[in-house]
Amino acid sequence: MTSAQFEVRNLRKSYDDGRIEALRGVSLTIQAGEYIAISGASGSGKSTLLQLLGGLDVATSGDVLFEDSPLGTVVNLDEYRARRVGFIFQAFYLLPTLRALENVQVPMLAVPGTAKSRAERAEALLRELGLGHRLNQYPNELSAGERQRVAIARALANNPTVLLADEPTGNLDSVNSARIMEILTGIQKTHGMTLIIVTHENDIANAAPRHIRIRDGRIES
Amino acid sequence: MASHLSFAGFAWKNLWRRRLRTLLTLCGIGMAIGAFVALVGFSRSFEHEWERLYSSSGTDIAVVDKNFMNTSVNESLLDKLRAVPVVAQADPMIFNIMDITPEVNALAFGWLQTSYEFDSLTFDSGGRFHDGKPEVILGSLLARNLDKKVGDTLELQGTTFTVTGIYHGGTGLEAGAIIMPIDQLQLLTSLQGKVSGFHVRLKPAPAGEAADQFLKQAQKEIEAALPGLNAQGAADRAANNQFVGLAHAVAWGTSCIALMMGILGIANTMAMSVFERTREIGILRAIGWKTWRVLMLIQIEATVLGFVGGFIGIAFGWGALHLLSTLPQTASVVTTSLSWVHLVEALGISVLSGLIAGAYPAWRGAHLSPVEALRHD
Repeated sequence: MTSAQFEVRNLRKSYDDGRIEALRGVSLTIQAGEYIAISGASGSGKSTLLQLLGGLDVATSGDVLFEDSPLGTVVNLDEYRARRVGFIFQAFYLLPTLRALENVQVPMLAVPGTAKSRAERAEALLRELGLGHRLNQYPNELSAGERQRVAIARALANNPTVLLADEPTGNLDSVNSARIMEILTGIQKTHGMTLIIVTHENDIANAAPRHIRIRDGRIES
Repeated sequence: MASHLSFAGFAWKNLWRRRLRTLLTLCGIGMAIGAFVALVGFSRSFEHEWERLYSSSGTDIAVVDKNFMNTSVNESLLDKLRAVPVVAQADPMIFNIMDITPEVNALAFGWLQTSYEFDSLTFDSGGRFHDGKPEVILGSLLARNLDKKVGDTLELQGTTFTVTGIYHGGTGLEAGAIIMPIDQLQLLTSLQGKVSGFHVRLKPAPAGEAADQFLKQAQKEIEAALPGLNAQGAADRAANNQFVGLAHAVAWGTSCIALMMGILGIANTMAMSVFERTREIGILRAIGWKTWRVLMLIQIEATVLGFVGGFIGIAFGWGALHLLSTLPQTASVVTTSLSWVHLVEALGISVLSGLIAGAYPAWRGAHLSPVEALRHD
């Protein structure tokens, strides 16, 4: 029997001294290499769940086990975010003072490696994503689709096993959305990575082999 | 060719993106360090000139009042001092500061016509004054500032003095000074029979006895012969006299105020920078940067400000000293030479200022929750 990559047990997250409950007892299991879409209305708790899976935040109660070890106690969250997961955000969150190539190198500064190896890997990733001609552009010189591809390259920089994407197509037109989804699913298949996408777009959610719907902080289906 | 991103390069880019603010902060810390370099350099230059004043005349010991630096020592003790076996030569001296004109003040020395201290002077024109006569000799710098030459007269507190000589001394203090017969200075100050102290040349140390040991022994013997007076080694006297002490205190006090303002400038810049970059710090935390790494990034930025500001400050300070060395009021005690120790000290203080100023903003930035930081507008 293969053990789960994520085991989520009765996860609760509240804000504002408990007045706002974003998650109300979520439990689920995610196997390594799965492609999952999480959907729900605004404020349903889907992004909160993604943040807890990614170690960006800590739960009010309940556990997230990653490869059988609880996040935040046994698994150091900084190490986990640096090496095991890659994040893709709706707003890209590229650093405006750095060129595309440099943005991709930023996560690699958090792990051992030489400047040369970092630059070479960043360049290879950007070329793989079709940005070989845009290496030295600043974010404000790139189109939205190109920025998201730089963000994907950045997420892949440290060879994570899990890719977490929060509304990755939210700021893109339909052509770029399709391109980005094609890239993400391609990476998931090629590298056997776990891909968890939070989206409110039904066609993207329904295209995933596993679709989790969240409503009012609980898993609906 | 792939461009490499280093940690330090990343910090530099963060400073470079807000060039104007960085420049203004650098000016702020530069001014603070400049004030330190100029003021402390000024006071050290003053101390150094004192040391040279003693060493150029060959003075080994200054015999002065234990507590005061004024003209309160009885001149009549000279014979007792000269009778101490280790003393080769001893002469009385008065030291004061005098307004020669409303614009020009100068150090005023009262010596005997026969004082051994003349050995350190070289006359450009004229020669020594005569005891009992209203005569003065002027340092070359002072003579230039007053536009006086040998034979000219000088009005001092209602008495007309004749310039008998223009000399250049071994030190800036001497070059900017006026020297007159000790009895004339006593008359001007209404302190007949009183002197500021005695300068002493010792006999050579006996064979086999260390010089500093001999000096200590001589000090003891002189103090035993003249109870109530203090026999100080010339170097100690130069470093610890009340004028030098006051100059050091003022220099350090003023510099500390300037440095505090510089530190506040860097702290403000770094706090603003951290606030404006809250979301970026959230991104760094989200992609795995540890707390200490974010802290280090911000501290490196603050340290770079301190380091570069230090160099700018050294340039400011050197410029200020250069200016002071050309002004008539300060030319006699200021030299433009800065010691390596002083420069390293200035740079060290500047870098330390950066570290102190960056500490809180760095701590605050490093401890931001990634989620909260990413939500920041």
